[in-house]
Amino acid sequence: MNKRSILLGTVAAASLFAIGAGDAGAGALNDHTEHWKELWGHVLLDIGGIGVVFGLVASYFLVSYRRTRDDEVGKGPKFSFAQSMAWALIPAFVFMADDFYLAASGWKLWNDQRIVPEGAMEVKLTGRMWSWDFDYGNGKVTTNEEGLIVPQGKPVVMRMKSEDAVHSFFIPEYRIKEDLMPGRVTYLWFLPKDTGEYVFTCTEFCGTNHSNMWGKVKVIPAAEFDAWLNPPAPEVAAAPAEGEAMAEGAAPAAEAAAPAGH
Amino acid sequence: MAEGHGHVEHHWEYSYYPLIAVAGIFFALPLGFASYFEYGNSMLATIFLGIGVPLIVIGVAGWTAEGVANAHREPGYAMTGLPIFIVSETMIFLSLFASYWMLRLTTEVWPPAGTPEIGLTIPLIMTVILVSSSFTYHAGELKLEAGDMGGFKTWLLITMVLGAAFVGCTVYEYSHLIHEGFVFGTNAKSTAFYSITGFHASHVTAGLGIFIAVLIPALAGKVSHTLVKGAGLYWHFVDVIWFFVVSQIYFW
Amino acid sequence: MKEWIFTTDHKRIGILYLVGSIAAFAVAGLMALGIRVELMAPGTQFIEPDIYNVMLYFHGAAMILAFLIPGLTGFLANYLIPLMIGAHDVAFPRINAFSVWLFWFAIVLALLSLAIPNPPDIMWTGYVPYSSQYSSGNSSFYVFTVHMLGFSSILGAVNFLCTVIFMRAPGLGWMQLNFFVWTILGAFVIQLIFIPVLAAAVTLLLFDKYFGTAFFVPDKGGDVLLYQNLFWFYSHPAVYVILLPAIGVFMDVISTMARNQVFNYKVAVFGGVWGVVLLGSDVWVHHLYTSGMADWIRIGMMVTTLLISIPVGLLIISLVGTLYRGSIQFSTAMWYTAASFWLILIGGLTGIPLAMTSLTLHLAETYFVMAHFHFIMGITATFAVFAGVYHWFPKMTGKMYNESLGKLAMTLNFIGVNLIFWPLFVIGVEGMPRRYQDYQMFPQFEVSQWWSTIGAVIVALSTILMIWNWISGAIWGPKAPANPWGSVSLEWTHTQSPPGPGNFKEIPKISPDWHPHEYSKA
Ligand code: HEA
Ligand code: HEA
Ligand code: CUA
Ligand SMILES: [Cu+2]
Repeated sequence: MNKRSILLGTVAAASLFAIGAGDAGAGALNDHTEHWKELWGHVLLDIGGIGVVFGLVASYFLVSYRRTRDDEVGKGPKFSFAQSMAWALIPAFVFMADDFYLAASGWKLWNDQRIVPEGAMEVKLTGRMWSWDFDYGNGKVTTNEEGLIVPQGKPVVMRMKSEDAVHSFFIPEYRIKEDLMPGRVTYLWFLPKDTGEYVFTCTEFCGTNHSNMWGKVKVIPAAEFDAWLNPPAPEVAAAPAEGEAMAEGAAPAAEAAAPAGH
Repeated sequence: MAEGHGHVEHHWEYSYYPLIAVAGIFFALPLGFASYFEYGNSMLATIFLGIGVPLIVIGVAGWTAEGVANAHREPGYAMTGLPIFIVSETMIFLSLFASYWMLRLTTEVWPPAGTPEIGLTIPLIMTVILVSSSFTYHAGELKLEAGDMGGFKTWLLITMVLGAAFVGCTVYEYSHLIHEGFVFGTNAKSTAFYSITGFHASHVTAGLGIFIAVLIPALAGKVSHTLVKGAGLYWHFVDVIWFFVVSQIYFW
Repeated sequence: MKEWIFTTDHKRIGILYLVGSIAAFAVAGLMALGIRVELMAPGTQFIEPDIYNVMLYFHGAAMILAFLIPGLTGFLANYLIPLMIGAHDVAFPRINAFSVWLFWFAIVLALLSLAIPNPPDIMWTGYVPYSSQYSSGNSSFYVFTVHMLGFSSILGAVNFLCTVIFMRAPGLGWMQLNFFVWTILGAFVIQLIFIPVLAAAVTLLLFDKYFGTAFFVPDKGGDVLLYQNLFWFYSHPAVYVILLPAIGVFMDVISTMARNQVFNYKVAVFGGVWGVVLLGSDVWVHHLYTSGMADWIRIGMMVTTLLISIPVGLLIISLVGTLYRGSIQFSTAMWYTAASFWLILIGGLTGIPLAMTSLTLHLAETYFVMAHFHFIMGITATFAVFAGVYHWFPKMTGKMYNESLGKLAMTLNFIGVNLIFWPLFVIGVEGMPRRYQDYQMFPQFEVSQWWSTIGAVIVALSTILMIWNWISGAIWGPKAPANPWGSVSLEWTHTQSPPGPGNFKEIPKISPDWHPHEYSKA
């Protein structure tokens, strides 16, 4: 018994190290969506294993200890103090080892999710009953009708607030969500790896049209996105390369040039 | 049950008053409140209050009467039950204080704009009143133990007068502040201030109600010692809570 | 009649609790049926969003607050505790009557909210500022329902703590209590300490909505997250108010039906029950993982939440261990219990990914959460109530229910619930959000939702069979033997069925080597 617990403890400790060491190479983009899927697989195995072990033992007992004679009584083991403590402490430490393994790997993913990579594109999101506004920072604003438009391959960070009730911005594809509320600014970030259209939707109950507060994340190639965000505006005398730095100055022009946002 | 003849003869016990009291609460509180505040129908609210309040009075009165009548066979658990209940009460106050702390510690400017100067004289007077009322009640209890019914009644009355004076101070203070435009919804400070002091004042009022339930039978010469002790314990508890209210709300 | 309506006898009060909580279950179950039919396909079938939200509000609030908690700590505790500890009644019989009627009128109030204009639509969690500023529904009914049920439970806690402390039969030591009694003690300690916090939360909501206070109004210095913290500070421990007595019922049923002592009794009591009570109070932020609370507290509570698996694990070990070398007889109650070995594992273990903050950034507010708590609470704990009714049915009525019908209904129910909730786990992981009247953005989930609805219909049928079994058994059932399961616990050995007023003709004297779970000496 004791050996097994030591073994399990060691395995757990070793996995902690493995997690710590197996960090993504420097410079590589940290894709927490992929890490989520990996960790999910591990956790399913973990809890699945525990469940099957306990379930099978229980089932085996249920079948093999059926009553055979009417006057039969159970003969469960009587424990000495030491035995009874062993039956408490050993399982407790095994469970704790597993808990710490889970906590450590959960924590690691958490850091991936919460530490925003440098150079992420920032979008300001305002939620209200029952629509969303995405503000790209140069005066360009889209609503849930048009969707959230982001460039492929570039991390996007959403700075979010609500004008009324609590809402939650959820993109199932990227395995991420965070609440919006009045009085605070919250954030989340994600990496749109592939082009395409993905559902985003509201996941904090906000009244009648709660299930109607949805739209699409539209991931388009970076070049196309730049063209959309800063359409070439000849009357503004600014070099295209400095587009980002000039964003503020260019804002009114860009808005005038773009089709009405909403 | 016919068969059993133990030392205690058992039969199905019943009492009308718990159900009556609950029915009263049901009409007076949820229905009365919702009619007035949610649906703006004061007519309906009056009707519900008119049904509810008498039921509550009947329930409480009848219950107390039964309690006093059965005083001789009352078990001594009440004096354990009440402290257990007080744990719960303490938690409510703790939640209110925690809310206050959370509001206060997450803002830079405290008190927020719109808060007038809240005088410290009245709370000091109130503290003196409430603390002495705890002593006067205790004096009454001593008289009762000594078998001096008259003395008990006198001290009880004095205690009640002090309690009423305390509530009076609150009313005076509130009306003053409200006059200065410091109302419930002014800001986070007013919210915390009125909620916490108001909640405490409501406990003082409840304590006064219990004293009435002690006094009325006492006037007829009947007392339930459990009730007397319980009322005292509750009153001391309310007194102790007041120290937290004063220190947190007025002097911090 | 007046000896029923105005009764102060704990057994009759227990029955009143049973009737009330099963009524709440039936109505809330019918709501669920409506919800399921609406969800059979994307788009609106026949329930408009406003009505859907009211139904879901009622379903959640009634199932937890009016069915499970009163079913376990009202009905079972009331009926069984004085019998199990050898007492004539509870410590404060009239307060007990007060409690049960508070509970009943709270149900009436909840039902009324289906009939009034502007019914509450704020879900059982009643989050601000929706509930306090933006909902056109009557949030005050929610608040007062919570107040009445809460006050009822607090008084119940006072009552039962005093009862067990003072009124144990002479000689009955703390280590000679039925396991169920211990779990009820744990549950009531939680109720006593944490309900006031919930009461405070909803009261502040009431003040904000009707008196214009600023607790949750950020413009005036209030804070929205304050409500969520207060609410879950109670409502997480509340799940252990449900889990503990449920495990208590299972343990007593197993010990009786397997004629076996409770495996590692003391460890299960101190490590299991009290471990859950202690740890359970430090994990509430796991309901606020996506809320925008400070990162450190979200990650900190991940660790405490995961550690809950230790005391619960000890309880499960004792449940399973009590079977070991037992002599198991399969009554209907035992069937429910046997099924629950798997159900409690599924429900509990799916709490583990939810406990992991980072996984929950995806899973929160999806059908995965919903399937998690239906497995542990909607099925396992519900099965505990059913098992309790069946197991003590001969005690309560003196009659016998129909064993084959009971097992048939149980089997149907088991099939039904698995059919309802397994597909929902799957679509939950794929992103199906909770509290959606319409899922037009996820048309791919239609098949799973459809099967789930079929499952709900099966459960409804099985429930009708079960309730019919109880009613017909109580009226026409054959006379039950005095001690049909051959239990050694006081409620079977020293009282008649059903027990008369005062329970015991003579209070039994307990010898130090007697134990309610000890069979090997018999
Ligand atoms: C009876 C009710 C009940 C019970 C007992 C539990 C038990 C647990 N719950 Fe659950 N839960 C709910 C009812 C319940 N829950 C409800 C109603 C909600 C949703 C509320 C709402 O939003 O409306 C919810 C939501 C909920 C959330 C929030 C999800 C979200 O909204 O984002 C989380 C997150 O941590 C969680 C976790 C857990 C955990 C870790 C346990 C643990 O206690 C489980 C412990 C048990 C086991 C782990 C299995 C047995 C143990 C072993 C076999 C030992 C070995 C195991 C290991 C080492 C892992 N639950
Ligand atoms: C004890 C708790 C409990 C129980 C037992 C159940 C039981 C069921 N629940 Fe519920 N559920 C909750 C607690 C519970 N639920 C909670 C807390 C929520 C969250 C609410 C929220 O989001 O705020 C929820 C949410 C919830 C949803 C989520 C909806 C959404 O998010 O949009 C759904 C959807 O399928 C659902 C379905 C069901 C079904 C099909 C059952 C079935 O098992 C029900 C089976 C019962 C019946 C079908 C009734 C049978 C009775 C009769 C036929 C009557 C007989 C009549 C007489 C004798 C007079 N539940
Ligand atoms: Cu916005 Cu739900
Ligand atoms: Cu929880």
